[in-house]
Amino acid sequence: MDIDVQPSDDLNITPLPFSIIPSIPPPPEDYTLYRSQHTPLIIDNGSTNLRWGFATSSEPRYGPNIVAKYRERKTNHPLMLFGDAVEVESGAKTQAKTPWEGDVLLNFDALENALDYAFVQLGIDTPTVDHPVLMTERLCSPVHSRALTSELMFEQYSVPSLAYCVDGMMSFYQNNQLSEQPFVSDGLVISFNTASTSVIPILNGRGVLNNAKRIPWGASQATDYLLKLIQMKYPNFPTRVSVAQANWMFRTFCSVSTDYISLLRSFEDPSILRSHQKIIQFPFLLNSNPLTGGAAGNGDEKTEEELARITERRREQGRKLQEIAARNRIEKLQQKESDLTYLLSLRDNYSSSATKREWDRKLREEGFDDEETFEETLKKLEADVKKGRKREKEKEGGTVDGEDADEPMEEPSFPLVDIPDADLDTSSLAEKKKQKLLKAGYEARLRARKERELKAIKDREEKAEREKQRELEERLDSEARSADLEGWARKLKGEQEALMTRIKDRAKRRAAMSDRKSAAKQERMKNIANLAAADEKTLGGSGPSKKGGRGTGKGVGKGTGKGRKGNAEDMFGADDADWAIYRKINTTTTISSDEEEDLAQLQQIEQKLLTHDPTFTNQHTHASIVSQRSALLNAFRPVYEEGDGAGNTRIHLTTERWRVCEAWFAPSIAGVDSAGLGEVIQNILSRFGEEEKGRLVKNIFLSGSPSQIPDIAPRLYSTLRPLFPVEMPIEIRSANDPALDAWRGMAKFAKTEEFATVGMSKAEYEEMGGERLKRWWGSNWNGGY
Amino acid sequence: MPPKNFKRKATATDGTLSPHVATLAEQLSYLHLPRPFKNPEYTKNLNRRAKNLKNVMGQERERERAEREKKRLEKAEKDAMEVDGKEVTMENEEIPTYLSIEAPPSVLPHKHYCDITGLEAPYTDPVTGLRYHDKDVYALIKEMSASTAKEYLSARGVNSIVK
Repeated sequence: MDIDVQPSDDLNITPLPFSIIPSIPPPPEDYTLYRSQHTPLIIDNGSTNLRWGFATSSEPRYGPNIVAKYRERKTNHPLMLFGDAVEVESGAKTQAKTPWEGDVLLNFDALENALDYAFVQLGIDTPTVDHPVLMTERLCSPVHSRALTSELMFEQYSVPSLAYCVDGMMSFYQNNQLSEQPFVSDGLVISFNTASTSVIPILNGRGVLNNAKRIPWGASQATDYLLKLIQMKYPNFPTRVSVAQANWMFRTFCSVSTDYISLLRSFEDPSILRSHQKIIQFPFLLNSNPLTGGAAGNGDEKTEEELARITERRREQGRKLQEIAARNRIEKLQQKESDLTYLLSLRDNYSSSATKREWDRKLREEGFDDEETFEETLKKLEADVKKGRKREKEKEGGTVDGEDADEPMEEPSFPLVDIPDADLDTSSLAEKKKQKLLKAGYEARLRARKERELKAIKDREEKAEREKQRELEERLDSEARSADLEGWARKLKGEQEALMTRIKDRAKRRAAMSDRKSAAKQERMKNIANLAAADEKTLGGSGPSKKGGRGTGKGVGKGTGKGRKGNAEDMFGADDADWAIYRKINTTTTISSDEEEDLAQLQQIEQKLLTHDPTFTNQHTHASIVSQRSALLNAFRPVYEEGDGAGNTRIHLTTERWRVCEAWFAPSIAGVDSAGLGEVIQNILSRFGEEEKGRLVKNIFLSGSPSQIPDIAPRLYSTLRPLFPVEMPIEIRSANDPALDAWRGMAKFAKTEEFATVGMSKAEYEEMGGERLKRWWGSNWNGGY
Repeated sequence: MPPKNFKRKATATDGTLSPHVATLAEQLSYLHLPRPFKNPEYTKNLNRRAKNLKNVMGQERERERAEREKKRLEKAEKDAMEVDGKEVTMENEEIPTYLSIEAPPSVLPHKHYCDITGLEAPYTDPVTGLRYHDKDVYALIKEMSASTAKEYLSARGVNSIVK
């Protein structure tokens, strides 16, 4: 029996949040502040969010990095929407483009549009963007991306200078540079991004990028994994779960577990599993199914009423159809009668008075070839009319057994049959043959009718016999029951168990049949081999026919190729018990009649036990035992009833909450063939000397929005602690503001004097090309000079 | 100059009958806003199609290989020049590229987790290849269709094409 979720678990049910309609963005600051100031312009180009602002602002503006160019259907206005605004129009959502594809910047039209929005929001109205720009790029970004970004910035917007940096390092700078001194901090930056996670060692304020590593697992892959797990767990979910909803679930419910294995082991207990679950309620419709209703309580009454109404309607329809059919029949009958009278009158008029030729001509006018066809049609019409009349009388007169109420059929006479052949001429011979056939048919029909009557009488007698027997059995049974209830119940339970074991054995045997090497299959082959054995006694003949066998018996070739020299005949089928071998050979999995008998018997026994034995409940019946699911599976995925609208639109998240985040430490559980965070850090640190290792490990820094997943730091600590000597202190800190700190770090850096030296000027761009960049402590190395 | 959408908002709340009420989407759109900072003379090469990820990665790989070849040649030259007796300072730094910093596959032994429930999985079903936690989950697996089993496998990253 399925264990239902207790309704008191409401504490854990969270409804899906409504999507917020975006508001008009705030107006830009007055540009006059910045005009001709050459304030550095800071752009943090992230895969998910684009953050931008002037270095002197305290807060950047930001928005999701999505652009949609869309033509509104009703007014046919072309629109361009950025970020949250894309949610407003569902048509725009499908046409949304993002500049990033995972980790790589690919779509430059989208980037151009996004930057346009950013600059418009800043209120820039000069012919060029007259500010030195500091932009982020991915760690060791492909030069193609950089070339196109540089091209865009220098040629389209004509910026005076452009510098690139790595966001993780800037966030580190923001959190570690506390004074005006030059930046010489050490540390290990773990940057959690949308589509990757990077580990960057920093020594003396310079990034040691040749020892950095990147794991291709980030928040977007985690979201996709969670979505896939949910879809597999709920294949028949009524609504589609979107990626955005999966992202919300990931951000709200998922966390890293500090000790994954012991957590899993604790889940062996279903109650603990249930206490850790989170339930998300999706919107659902009440009364969506008219037959089974919606909310509990009203459901039952409604179903009965509904059912009664539906049956009434059907009966009405049936009656109406019957009436229509009757009316049609009457009409046809009347039509036939009128035809008949017309033809009769025709015959009377003409055959009596007119000559043969006129009669023929008249007939041909009517459409008959000659008199014979006319007579035939006449006779047919008469027969039809008679039948119709009779049926009408039956309908009105009530139920009459069609067979017996036959008006005594006239004995059709077959005069020619008795005359011997010799006396007849050819045409009469043909006639005689016809009459013989008719006579044989008529006699056969009489015989069949008599047999049917006899059979009916015999059946009635047999039924009475059987009834009497059954009553006798029941009386005996109830006497036995009233005498000794327990003994009777025990006997029946014994029978029930025997039947159940037999059914189970048969099921097991059937399952074993599919396995090629099982004992059952080998036994079967032995049987077949015996049957086909080229034994001297059994050779010859064409083998037993398959008429009596039950199964198809795979290729039981009865020594067809082995030579028919046998003298003895094959006596296989003579004994009836021989055919039983086919039952063993048959491998098809349809339920044989044996099983059906067993099941029927089982049902009867269970019925009796249910009604009379108080200790035998529904749970002991065969059906419930078979469909019972383990308690663990029920806690994992509770099954709701068919009509439970609310229940069927719930998602239960239990192990998925930690499984998804575990992938950061072991990406192979999600199919990504890469080392996890712990192993990567170990690899990187092994390339440094002991002293440097100590410096790095003392200042492990987590940055990026996904670093806000709860419990990452403790888990990282417990992973790293065993790898280093005990004296080495390990400290893990995370950014003060993981999402915006990169931008803030860039802004802080831009205000220093060093900033002027790190940018690539337009002249340098024109000389070197877009793939090069000026190398400094915070930038990439590839293509640097 | 304040952006145009402000003026439009003012007329919409004027109270007078405006012939065209801007929808929220139109108010949010910035297509019509002036963008003077763009260089009108710059024409993007419109024939250039946005390269997709595979092409970009392929390009990177090619470039990396070319760089390595060049480095090797340079090293060979430098070794030849050593005959002069000069001290050759090797440049130890190798330039990291997008592909070179990708993390290597894990060498730690993989822990097996149940494909269905996520708990530990000591057992594997030989027919489908799914890992399962206990006999009840096994009963569930036996009832699964081949396509469902393949979905579970693909979540783990095992994309078998056979069967």
